[in-house]
Amino acid sequence: MLRSETLRRQPISSGPAPGALALRLPRWLTAEHPAPWLFPSLALILAFGIYPLAYSLWLSFHKQNFFTRSMDFSGLLQWQAAFSDPRMWGALGTTLTYTAVCLVAELVLGLAIALLLDVDRPGYGILRALMTLPLVVPPAVTGLMFLLLEDNQYGVLSYYLGALGIIDPNKPILGTTALALPGVMLTDIWQWTPFMVLIFHAALRALPREPFEAAAIDGAGAIAAFRHLTLPMLGKVIALAVLLRGIDLFRIYDYIYVMTSGGPGTATETISYYAGKIFGLANFPYSATLSIITLVVINLAALIFVRLARIRF
Amino acid sequence: MRRQGAAIYLRDLVAVLTVAVFMFPLFWWVLASFKPYTAIFSHIPNYFDFTPTLRNYGITLLGWSRVEQDLTSGGVGAIHGGSSSYYSIPSILQSFAVACGSTIVALLLATPAAYALSRFSFRRRHDFVFFILAQRMLPPIAIAVPLFFIFRDLGLRDSIAGLILAHTLMSLPIAMLLMKSFFDDIPTDLDSAAMIDGAGRVGCFRHICLPLVRGGLAATAVLCFIFSWTEFLISLQLTTQIRTIPVKISTFVTSTGTEWGLITALGSAALVPAFIVILLVQRHLVRGLSLGSIKE
Repeated sequence: MLRSETLRRQPISSGPAPGALALRLPRWLTAEHPAPWLFPSLALILAFGIYPLAYSLWLSFHKQNFFTRSMDFSGLLQWQAAFSDPRMWGALGTTLTYTAVCLVAELVLGLAIALLLDVDRPGYGILRALMTLPLVVPPAVTGLMFLLLEDNQYGVLSYYLGALGIIDPNKPILGTTALALPGVMLTDIWQWTPFMVLIFHAALRALPREPFEAAAIDGAGAIAAFRHLTLPMLGKVIALAVLLRGIDLFRIYDYIYVMTSGGPGTATETISYYAGKIFGLANFPYSATLSIITLVVINLAALIFVRLARIRF
Repeated sequence: MRRQGAAIYLRDLVAVLTVAVFMFPLFWWVLASFKPYTAIFSHIPNYFDFTPTLRNYGITLLGWSRVEQDLTSGGVGAIHGGSSSYYSIPSILQSFAVACGSTIVALLLATPAAYALSRFSFRRRHDFVFFILAQRMLPPIAIAVPLFFIFRDLGLRDSIAGLILAHTLMSLPIAMLLMKSFFDDIPTDLDSAAMIDGAGRVGCFRHICLPLVRGGLAATAVLCFIFSWTEFLISLQLTTQIRTIPVKISTFVTSTGTEWGLITALGSAALVPAFIVILLVQRHLVRGLSLGSIKE
């Protein structure tokens, strides 16, 4: 970084002023070094981000004594339990399905709506502003919102879907194994498609005009221009949106908690929710093991994705 | 030409309908908050066939007695619900205190750090930035479990200070990356000029850069506020007496019945501050949500 290199050189007059206290601090403690600037944030992240992680890791190798409530070292017991736990694998599968379906739906819908609303005509600004509203609804409240909409007896959505013959009016959406997960996904898609719209709209605005004008002169249609110009030029932004949204999708918890509690059976139990449930049952070591598995999966997937998509920060 | 005109109107129609579909759940939610108890439980969608009531807002925000309300208006609702309190002003104040507190702490910590990330070059700086982003990959439950024990030992469980700390932790990485992107916008020539004139690093930061990122600070503050205002899992696990709004609302779903009227009323009320602040910084919203990587 050239600009920073030039700045690192001491300015001409930065020596201690005459008469100033001639106390010489080590260089890394002065304002000319990044350490003091970063230290407070880093301390908090280490104390309450990394230490808890280390604690979780420690917990995952222990087991709580039933009577004395002390934590006893138990080696790989929790890990063996986790890897031979069909419920863990089920939850992992549910999480992957959930993440993949929502990600694709939100990407496609988000891009389509961003293109649809990318017009400079009166009224479209208001439409775009309205589209951002779902983003500030607390996810727990969004879950309740759709719980009401999808209620078997009083839900508007159930009523219309039933009237259209899409669902069986006698089967509650969130109480039927095959429909419960799509019911929760719908909530996610409603809340987070606007996120994609917002990001893609900003990216569309930043695209250069010339290639499109040239393509239009060459007689390219709208679809060809989209496929060969818009889509490739949006590549970086799409990759970034996939990364940020994918991370959040994989940790999904709130909707499940308020809408289905993982049910019916374990049909909507995601890994994050399963870990939370085990925590609620006071089996802290196993809950910690499950959260570490979640973390490792997200980190690996994100790392591979960052490499493949060549994302630079 | 005529066909093109029709195409434009068709596009307008599709655009309006799409946005209307997305607005419908919100509309239905706010509408339900003004419905009397029985109108919510209607088998056929009930749009405007009811007498609007302020019962739900009265009970949650003004502390009206729920039983009294329902006895005077037919008494249908009085059978349902446990004995839990529905008066939610304390929750709103607690949520507000936590959101403001964590926003202030996050900004105080993140701004100097972001300045350093933007202005100093040091070894492995890019890895360091990724490390900060990686803080966002921690599943909330992976933080909640150990924090539960740490806070219990420190006596921070069920305290506003503890929640402020936990929420600061959640918003700090976002605040750092976002503020870094705002500092990156300021040309370094300004720093060089000031330093040639004899200003130190701190002077540069305080008198040159900080005034120039005021807009960015406001945007970051709003995002931190909304993160805290909408956060659910950590608040749920770390508190029993203190109830932030999302947690409070979730307690209205009881085993004996769901108080939809009260849920929708408190839910609608909780949306108002978030909507207002988001409209104030609409311009910076994209950048905030993409953690500073997309500039509009």
